[in-house]
Amino acid sequence: MAPYRTQTKIIADILLTARDMNMEGDGVGITTLLRKGNVSYSRMTKLIGDLVGAGLLLELNLDKTAKYKISEKGMSFLQAYLQFEDFAQSFGLRL
Amino acid sequence: MRIVGFRRGMAAQGLVLLENALQFVGAFVAFSIAIVSYKGVRSTQSSSLLRLAAAFVFLGTGFLLEGIYGFGSLSILPGFEVSLTTLLISGLVLETAGYFFLAFSHVLDVMFDKRMAIMLAFFPLMAINQGSLEVILTSLSFYFIMYGVVETLFAYSRNRNPNTLLIASGLSLIAAGWWISLVAADTLLLSIVQLLMKEVGLVILFIPVLTFSFTKKSGWNGPL
Repeated sequence: MAPYRTQTKIIADILLTARDMNMEGDGVGITTLLRKGNVSYSRMTKLIGDLVGAGLLLELNLDKTAKYKISEKGMSFLQAYLQFEDFAQSFGLRL
Repeated sequence: MRIVGFRRGMAAQGLVLLENALQFVGAFVAFSIAIVSYKGVRSTQSSSLLRLAAAFVFLGTGFLLEGIYGFGSLSILPGFEVSLTTLLISGLVLETAGYFFLAFSHVLDVMFDKRMAIMLAFFPLMAINQGSLEVILTSLSFYFIMYGVVETLFAYSRNRNPNTLLIASGLSLIAAGWWISLVAADTLLLSIVQLLMKEVGLVILFIPVLTFSFTKKSGWNGPL
């Protein structure tokens, strides 16, 4: 059974995908985020809206399709998240 | 003979002094872990880190009260003579609560399973045949640390993070120190051994805080 993921973990997964899958520098589409994020379409669109609103993701409208890129603020959050994940893991816990 | 006895008495008093000083070191380590955990709660809103922070706040306060009790009983800290028993019991209750939260974090992480059932089955053997409140609280603390050790080792088998193994070994040393102090506290040599075990165990628990402090580069201060 897959372990339960918290909302923060899902957000970190989305940001990680936006960071790591952005090979060409023009952002990643919602299909990639859905495939890697492993959440439903309706939940993903809501989460992306929240993340764009919070300034963690940047929305790029290229060729009439929305693509997303991690922002500086998103990178900062992700870095903090990974550090605290490592800290919690030291004590045998999951974030 | 008298000189040997006097020297032994001095050594024993020195050990008691060292043991009480160790409580303050324990409080420092516990509060440091609690602060880092609380920063984590602010940044990531993680409930695991909140439980970890709560556990170490309880542990730190417990260590602090026990240290004050120890120095008060040696008349190093004046003014605490009247409330010494209250200090000791409060310290032990808080420490037990801290170890409970530490074990409780793991319980919520893995949910109730066979391991928990096996550990619970061992508990009455240790706790029921003890008399005083002090021994019961100490036994409970020992039990919770042991549960923490088992769960941390299981976590290591999942994540293979060397720091997890380090924390498991630190907790094991503290647990072994507790066990020695429970069953053979009167021997001078064993007292030194158990003191060293607790000291090294605490230093090991401090390593993730040091690692975190030295690698912290993010400017994120949360909340999300």
